[in-house]
Amino acid sequence: MSGLPCPSPIPEAELTAYWLGELEDSDAADVEQHVFGCSHCSSQLQLLVRLGVGIRQVASEGTVHAVLTPAFVRQMQNNGLQVREYRLRPGTSVACTIAPDDDLVVSHLHAEFAGVERLDLIFEDPDSGAQLRMKDLAFDRTADEIVLASNTRYLRELGTATRRVRLLAVQEGGERELGTYTFNHSRYRSGSGA
Amino acid sequence: MYQVASGPDDGELARRIVTAGARRDADAEAELCRRFAPRIRLYGLRHLRNDAAAADLVQDVLLMTLEKLRTGVVREFDKLASFILGTCRQTVIDGRRSGGRRERILETFAPTLDSATEDSDTALDSGRLESCLENLPERERSVLVMTFYDDRPADEVGAALGLSPGNVRVIRHRGIERLRRCVEEQTS
Repeated sequence: MSGLPCPSPIPEAELTAYWLGELEDSDAADVEQHVFGCSHCSSQLQLLVRLGVGIRQVASEGTVHAVLTPAFVRQMQNNGLQVREYRLRPGTSVACTIAPDDDLVVSHLHAEFAGVERLDLIFEDPDSGAQLRMKDLAFDRTADEIVLASNTRYLRELGTATRRVRLLAVQEGGERELGTYTFNHSRYRSGSGA
Repeated sequence: MYQVASGPDDGELARRIVTAGARRDADAEAELCRRFAPRIRLYGLRHLRNDAAAADLVQDVLLMTLEKLRTGVVREFDKLASFILGTCRQTVIDGRRSGGRRERILETFAPTLDSATEDSDTALDSGRLESCLENLPERERSVLVMTFYDDRPADEVGAALGLSPGNVRVIRHRGIERLRRCVEEQTS
């Protein structure tokens, strides 16, 4: 059985829906029954679960940057993660750092998102002019902020440096700036409060 | 809706264990454990959402299955997978252990179980996964992180991000496919 292909493999999207509890009970039972007797589909489900476990681990260690939501960050804090937070209005700057015990560093970037069709973010080094553009962010138009989680590995290796973030509303015919936020980063010093 | 899968040699495996009875066919028992331990564990993780409880379930269900095969309780050999799934469901519903009896069976089958549960869920290389996640489009990364950090369904993730559940499923599906391909490419 183990090496035989499955005659009717369950699509990945269905396996994911099963795993996340999105299926009706009878559909979930069908998937379960099939997976239990099928080496191929159980392997596919196992790979999906491994990916999920890996993503959870990477997110918990903060070693990937991502746009999240305030509620999600609270959930991570409730799970025991040490989260350092900065809040910035458009045109403001902040002295920031990462402490040895920090699991995650997030920035709440406030702006007005009503009517915005697509949101891009430009991360730049004002000294060198180097830029990284993050295109088409997931964001809630009814919220007044996005939450940017920075890669903690990158922050720990960053010495004293300034980084700038610009939020851009992109629409047909051009783009407009929603805000610029400046981060004056320094290495952590105990009691610095940065 | 999906064809009920049934391994063509599951029945043969069951037959060998039943035929051996008290003499025990160690190879057949080990193969049964190797084959079904990962599936039982997935079932446990899906329904119990706890690693330790899932590991206990694997042991309990394999113990019961082997004992029932050896004592001739299982008669429909070709429905071995269904029997094991049914045992999983009943064990989770019962949520109880059978103390001394379990200890006795465990003593008999411990070596078989040990070898079956090794390497059943090898972790992915986290550095590789990080790199693949970093390369995803922003939306896909947000949706995957918010989905799998705590196994959240599409409606909850969508409500948080201002997306419809259907849109989340599409983004999620693309993200998983891209991530899977990236991890597999880097592995090979």
